[in-house]
Amino acid sequence: MSETFIVRLRFSRREPAIWLAHLDMMRTFERSIRRAGLPICWSQGYNPRPQMTFALPISVGLATAGDYLDLSLEEDLEPADVMDRLNRSLPTGFAILAANRAAPSKASLMSLVRAADYRLETPGLAEAIARIANTQPLVVEKFSKGKMVDVDIRPLIEKIQLKGPDCLEMRVKAGSSANLRPDLFLKALETYGDLPAEAAADCAVTRLALILDSNDPESAGS
Amino acid sequence: MSTVNLPRHLLASVEKPARYTGGEWNSIVKTVPEAAEQALRPFLRYAFCFPDTYEIGMSNLALRILYHLLNERPDVWCERVFAPWTDMADRMRRENLPLFALESRTPLHEFDLLGFTLQYELAFTSVLDMLDLGRVPLRTADRTLDDPFVMAGGPVVYNIEPMADFFDLVIIGEGEEVLSEVVDCYLHWKASGDTRTREGFLLAAAQIEGVYVPSFYTVTYKNDGTVQAILPNRTGVPATIRKRIILDLDQAYFPTQSIVPNTEIVHDRIFLELFRGCTRGCRFCQAGMIYRPVREKKPAVLVNQALEMEKTTGYDEVGMLSLSTSDYSALSELTDGLLCELTPHHTSISLPSLRLDNFSLELMEKASSTRKGGLTFAPEAGTQRLRDVINKNITEEDLLKAMELALRGGWSGAKLYFMLGLPTETIEDVEGIAHLAQAIEKLYQSLPRFERPKRLELSLSTAMFIPKPFTPFQWSPQADTETMKSHQMHLKDLLRHSRSVRYKWHEPRQSYIEGVLARGDRRLGKVIEAAFRGGARFDAWDEQFKYDLWIDCLEKAGLDPNFYARRERSRQEIFPWSHIDCGVTEDFLWSEYQQAILAQTTPECREQCSACGAQCFGGGVCYE
Ligand code: SF4
Repeated sequence: MSETFIVRLRFSRREPAIWLAHLDMMRTFERSIRRAGLPICWSQGYNPRPQMTFALPISVGLATAGDYLDLSLEEDLEPADVMDRLNRSLPTGFAILAANRAAPSKASLMSLVRAADYRLETPGLAEAIARIANTQPLVVEKFSKGKMVDVDIRPLIEKIQLKGPDCLEMRVKAGSSANLRPDLFLKALETYGDLPAEAAADCAVTRLALILDSNDPESAGS
Repeated sequence: MSTVNLPRHLLASVEKPARYTGGEWNSIVKTVPEAAEQALRPFLRYAFCFPDTYEIGMSNLALRILYHLLNERPDVWCERVFAPWTDMADRMRRENLPLFALESRTPLHEFDLLGFTLQYELAFTSVLDMLDLGRVPLRTADRTLDDPFVMAGGPVVYNIEPMADFFDLVIIGEGEEVLSEVVDCYLHWKASGDTRTREGFLLAAAQIEGVYVPSFYTVTYKNDGTVQAILPNRTGVPATIRKRIILDLDQAYFPTQSIVPNTEIVHDRIFLELFRGCTRGCRFCQAGMIYRPVREKKPAVLVNQALEMEKTTGYDEVGMLSLSTSDYSALSELTDGLLCELTPHHTSISLPSLRLDNFSLELMEKASSTRKGGLTFAPEAGTQRLRDVINKNITEEDLLKAMELALRGGWSGAKLYFMLGLPTETIEDVEGIAHLAQAIEKLYQSLPRFERPKRLELSLSTAMFIPKPFTPFQWSPQADTETMKSHQMHLKDLLRHSRSVRYKWHEPRQSYIEGVLARGDRRLGKVIEAAFRGGARFDAWDEQFKYDLWIDCLEKAGLDPNFYARRERSRQEIFPWSHIDCGVTEDFLWSEYQQAILAQTTPECREQCSACGAQCFGGGVCYE
C-alpha cells in the first residue's frame, strides 16, 4: 500500500447545520471533500468510501465550536491548503478552524477522546444547578442497547462553572469508555433541579472543545 | 417582510429537522431590493411549492431545473417550500407559525407567485394544507391584491378541473420557456402601475401559449351530470390551451450547479435526463401520451453535464431519469462515455428501469462494473392477450430470457411489476401473473447449481390500474374495489407455495379515490376542500389515507364516486379536460381504445409512426 498522510481538522458547526444527523454530516463532509478536489484515500471493498474519521459523533441539534476530524490523503498537502479548499466547499454552518499534520497511528482518533466541554444556555439554569448541588447520585434513565437502564451521571461530570443565571459551562467525560450526553444532563436538571421542561427543550448546547488524550502530541490543534 | 423564527424545541421534537432548515450547498440566497428600488425595477419573489415531503420534492427533476432557471434572473428570487410532515405541521399550527420558504424563512403569503408542481392527484389535499398553513386564502375568489398568485404545473394539470377553484393559473406542459414568459408578464404588470385588480395580470398571462386560467372558463353540465360545454367567459381567451414543449433539449437550460441536500433524499445522486417522452405507446400510461413526442439529448451533452455536476455537487453516483432508459438510442455510447470519464473518480452509474425486450448482458455488466443495482421488470399483465390489450409488447419468452441472463450474471432476483384491473381483465389474466412467477422459479431450478445464485428472490407487486385522461383508456370504467380485493387474495393464494416470491399489493381503495380525482370535474373542488378540513393530507401515504372521510365528503356533496371512476364513457362525451390539447388527438386515442378491445397492438414510433397528432409540434422523433 502506498503512503497515506493524515490531516487533523478542527471544525465548528452552527445553525442551520446543527440539525443534521451524524450520518448526514458524514455524507455532507464526503461530498465537500470531493468538491474541494482533495486527494482523499478510499476504503477497499465492495462499497468504497472516502477515508475520514470523526472524533466523536455529534447528535442532532448540537452545535460545536471545536470537534476533530481526520482525513487520510494520498498526497502530503499543506494543512493550510486543505483547510482553505475545504472551507470553500462546505455548506452554510460548517467551518474548518485549524488543520495540522498528524502521524498515522494505531490508536484511532476516537479512542483519544477523554472529555468534552459544553456550554448550555437556557433560562433558569443557575437555579436548577443550585437545587442539585446536594443530590448525590444523579440517577436518570437512559436508552441503551435496546432497553431503558438507570445510570448515575454524577461521576461523569468533572466540573461545572456558572456563567450567569442562564448559562453554564461544564467538562464531562466523553469518548467510547465513558460519555455523558448533554441531553441526559438536562434530564437530570429537570428531574432533580426542577428545570422546566420547556427550558430544557429550548436549551442551546454547544460543544466548546474536545479534550484528547495528552499522550498524543498532535492533538493540541491550534 | 418578515421571517419565521423556528424555536429550538420545535426542531428538536420533529422527525428529520434538516428538512426544514435549508442552507444546502448550491441553494440560493439573494438580497431583496428595497421598496423604493422595486418601484423602479420590479422584483419577483417566487416560491416553488412541492406538496409532499422534502425527500420526495427534492428528487423532482422539474424543481431541480426550474429553481435554478428562475434564479439565473436578477429580477427573481425563487425559493423552495415543501409540505411539512404531520408532526411539524401540527406543531406549527399549535404555535401559530406560518409555513415558510427554506431559503429566507419568509411566510408563504408574502410571496408574489406560488408555483405548485403536481405529480399525483392524491397530493391535492396537501396543496390546501400548505396554502392554509401559509395563510393564503384557499380559493382564487377569496384572494386579494395582498395575496400571492397560485399556480400549478406538472403531469396532473392535464386535468386540473377538480382543483380549478384553488389555482389562479396553470401551466400546461414543460416549464422552461413558459415560466419565464409568465414571470416577464408579472413584472410587466407590476411595472405598468395598473395593478388595481388581479384580473389584469391573469388576462395578460392567459395570452401566453400554454397558460390556462381556470376562472376564465365556464363549465355547464347536462342533466346526466356529464359536461355540456366548457367556454371562455372573457374575450381574448383561447378556446383550447395547447401544451408547451421544448424541442431542442441539447440547447435547453440545464442546471449544473444543482442543490446538494444535507439530508438523504429519494434520488440522492446526479441525475441526467436522457430524453423526454416515450416511443412505446403503452395504452395505460399517461406519461407516454402527454410527453409526446420523444426528444433525446446527445450523449456528449449528457456526459459533459454529468462531469460538470460531479465537480459542483460532489456526488459519487449518476442516475438516469427518463421514462424508459434503455430505449435511449445512444445508450451504449452514453454509458461508455460515463464509465470512462467518471469511474476514475469513484463515481458509479446506476441504470434504472431496464426493459425486458432489449435487455442485454452487456448493459448489465456495465452497470455491475461499478455497483450492482437491483433489476426491475414491468410486464404489467399476466397473459399475452392482456399485454396486447395494453400494447406492452413483451413476451413471456423475453422475460425468461432476460431472467436467465440475470441469474447467470449473478443477480439473485428481480422486482416484477404488474397491474390488476386492466380493461378486459379476466381471472385467467390474474392467474397468468402467478404462472409467470412460477415459470421463473422453474427456470431457476433448471439451471446448473454453479451457474445460478444460491437463492432466488422475486418481489412481485401489483398496483391497481387507474384510467387517466389523455390515454386510450380514458373512456373505460375503473375496476371495482371488491373484485380487486378478491383478485389480490386469489393471487396471494396461488403464490402461497412459491417460496421465492414476496407478494406486495396496493390498497385498492386509495386507487379508487385517485381514479375519482383523475377524471373528475370542478364539482369535486368542494369535496377536496371538505376532505382537507376533515383532516386529509398526504393521501398518497398509506398510513395517512382516510378512505371513509373521502366517501363521507363525496356523499355530503351529493356526488357519486362511481360516476367518475366506474362509468363507461361514450365517444361523444365532452370530458372535463376537453379544452386542454396535449397534441395527441382524441381520434387517435379512440382508435387505440378500439384496437385495445380487439387485443391488436400498435407499433412504437420508431418502427412506424401512427400519426398520433404529436407531429404538430414540429420536432422530435416524428421527424427523425
Ligand atoms: S406522430 Fe408518430 S412518431 Fe410522432 S409521437 Fe405520434 S406516433 Fe410517434
